[in-house]
Amino acid sequence: MKPGGILVLLAACLAACSNEARTIGPAMPQTLPSGDADPRIGAYQENAYQVSQGRRYFAWYGCSQCHAEGGPADRDLTDGKWRHGGGFAQVYASVASGHPEQDFVRRIAIEQLWQITAYVRDLPTHTAEKRYRLLVDQKGEAQGSSWNGPQ
Amino acid sequence: MTPDPARMDALDATWKDKPGLWGFLTTVDHKRIAARYIVTALLLMFLAGVLALDMRWQLSVAENTRMGPQLYNESFSLHGSTMLFLVSVPVMEAMALWLVPLMLGTRNMAFPRLSAFSYWLYLGGVLTLWIAHALDITPDLGWFEYPPLSGPSYSPGHRADIWAQMITFTEVAALAASVNVAATILKMRPPGMTLARMPVFLWAMLIASLMTILSMPAIMLVTSMLISDRLVSTHFFAPAAGGDVLLFQHLFWFFGHPEVYIIFIPATGFVSSIVETFSRRPLFGHNVLVLAILAIAALAFGLWVHHMFAVGLPRLGNDFYTGASMAIALPAGLQIFCWIASIWSGRVVLHTPMLWIIGFLATFVIGGLSGVMTASASLDLQLTDTYFVVAHFHYVLVGGAMFPLFGAFCYWYPKATGRLMSERWGRVAFALIVGGFNLGFFPMHVLGLMGMPRRVYTYPAEMGWEWLNQVATAGSVIAVLGGLVFVGNALASYWRGAPSGPDPWGGSTLEWACPSPPPAWNFAYTPRVSSLTPMWEDASRIAVFDGIAVDRREVLVTSVTDAVPVYRQKSASPSIWPLVAAAAVSAMFIASIFTPWAIAAGLLPIGAALTGWFWPTRARATSGPLRARS
Ligand code: HEM
Ligand SMILES: [Cu+2]
Repeated sequence: MKPGGILVLLAACLAACSNEARTIGPAMPQTLPSGDADPRIGAYQENAYQVSQGRRYFAWYGCSQCHAEGGPADRDLTDGKWRHGGGFAQVYASVASGHPEQDFVRRIAIEQLWQITAYVRDLPTHTAEKRYRLLVDQKGEAQGSSWNGPQ
Repeated sequence: MTPDPARMDALDATWKDKPGLWGFLTTVDHKRIAARYIVTALLLMFLAGVLALDMRWQLSVAENTRMGPQLYNESFSLHGSTMLFLVSVPVMEAMALWLVPLMLGTRNMAFPRLSAFSYWLYLGGVLTLWIAHALDITPDLGWFEYPPLSGPSYSPGHRADIWAQMITFTEVAALAASVNVAATILKMRPPGMTLARMPVFLWAMLIASLMTILSMPAIMLVTSMLISDRLVSTHFFAPAAGGDVLLFQHLFWFFGHPEVYIIFIPATGFVSSIVETFSRRPLFGHNVLVLAILAIAALAFGLWVHHMFAVGLPRLGNDFYTGASMAIALPAGLQIFCWIASIWSGRVVLHTPMLWIIGFLATFVIGGLSGVMTASASLDLQLTDTYFVVAHFHYVLVGGAMFPLFGAFCYWYPKATGRLMSERWGRVAFALIVGGFNLGFFPMHVLGLMGMPRRVYTYPAEMGWEWLNQVATAGSVIAVLGGLVFVGNALASYWRGAPSGPDPWGGSTLEWACPSPPPAWNFAYTPRVSSLTPMWEDASRIAVFDGIAVDRREVLVTSVTDAVPVYRQKSASPSIWPLVAAAAVSAMFIASIFTPWAIAAGLLPIGAALTGWFWPTRARATSGPLRARS
């Protein structure tokens, strides 16, 4: 094969993995994941933008108030140990239905739950410095209890 | 001064590149390298122009759905970054690479291999940005990517890294070219060309190069800090951890403002050359022109904050930078008056290059006036981030730099190709581009005053912006059509144009003394200069020196102020190492988007390539501490 052909092929392969894709506005899921093999999972878990949206909702909905890094082991989400299972559907269920008092199923839109799940599952793959750096930029945003309604 | 054939054969044998691909890859001929630079930049200008048309299409109707917000963001980011970093700055350096040795009557640049390295690295930057674009990793935050938006938190993925690293590429390339140009102008002028007898063009290129050397480090620093924030989680731009987001803006604009003059000052060099030749008189106010360029260059480093009037700096600071920004209108105005006076008092010949100068004067003055308006901090609070700014910077960039560039292209085209471009099609292209541009961009001032923000992908019909946007789109289409005519003319004339001879315009400076196209060795003898317009003294009998080798690559080095011959310098031969070194540097730059270890690991291949590059060709010394011991 000619070098040009190889390049085109390489380009096509790289383009196929849509890690960088960025769609603004609601995308697919309006329903819960059907299981850990739901074909929609990749578009969230493997996508940088969706994971980062999850991080913002994580702070906005006040998740970070209890789930601080280095906190009690049962609340530390960064250690890669999942007490209720680490599959996508399992973590989704822990977020949505595992917090009865907060009533997240009703309060958080389904797509946002997908993004939050992807973010939470992404956490253990980064260093502590990186996680801190990502959160520190968001300090200026209204989060959890510091949110006092739409401006 | 016509050399005898035996001498030309000897020079050919010494200076000609090897034929074929190997010669192409190893060449250190400044003309070949510069031509590559120019062709690459023009190609990119075409691509970025297509993006611009696409954006104009999107904006021509309210609530248009041709593009969504993300695609629009990517389009203006790619358009702006390409036009500034990959077109305007490099093309000006390329013109210097091509012309400086010819105007100095010398045979090559001071650092021939550095020219080659500069181009290959620039090409690396071009490929980085545009291959990433093909892979849908297009930067989407505009041509200046401010944190925190461009920081790790709000720009996940690698789009911002691609932008930042593309800058690193082009800045290293620009530094390499600038050092080369400055050294060549300062140390390789022909005997007799004292600083006082140096044409304005060379002053412009020298000053622009020095500005590049002084301003580029700031941007390389700041984009590297951004990458390090993103890659290894430093806190330079994280206020909540003691960082400072404004630091980015200061460092960026400490480069960014001089950059517009790094683009504009070479253009003033083109204008000066063309005005002189076509007014058929030495430039009016040579010294004023040179001092004005120097003044612009100095002031340009003291007014970057006018890009930051809206970020909430202290009032007094804003006032100072308003004053400084307006002050630059003085030297700029002096220049304009000198050119007008030259035209007024000369015998003007209106060939296409000169037409472009007329187009430049008219358009640039409008851009300058809107510049004085945006320089006022109070007014700028209203104008910033509106279409008024889009109109302003296109007037200064296109009118102030691209029109002179097109004029320069037509002016030196016969020198480069030995053929004349068609005057008729040249006029058609001129009328379409200048007319279309003004039709397309003038309404944007009004749109801005009506409140249309820049960087919006659409607007509701009730705003009443629609018909002006349609006029703007129509104008852009006309201008782009003119661009196609221009390129078509250049291509057709390359094969069919009338032969031009060495000096079709009766030019004033030395480049017109060598054959068109210039041979690999440029000049058979070293010319001796006794005035600012050597070709007009007695063109048929320019005094020349012999004594520079014919059988090996050699150039004459002269003193900085008086251009007294100092010594004969060996000039580097063709080599593959600049390409290898640029490839190694490119690999390191790209890998360092993904892992910091790339910097350490990448040093090895770079070191190896540089060792090859600088491998001594001289025999070992026979005395001293490094002498060969047997
Ligand atoms: C026919 C030629 C051109 C057309 C039709 C055109 C059109 C446009 C349009 C529509 C935008 C986006 C405005 C917005 O929505 O904010 C833009 C932005 C820009 N253009 Fe052009 N342009 C042209 C040539 C050029 C040239 C030659 C240069 C530089 C030498 C240039 C430099 C820029 C820059 C720096 C931006 C700002 C990008 C940003 O906001 O980050 N343009 N242009
Ligand atoms: Cu400025």
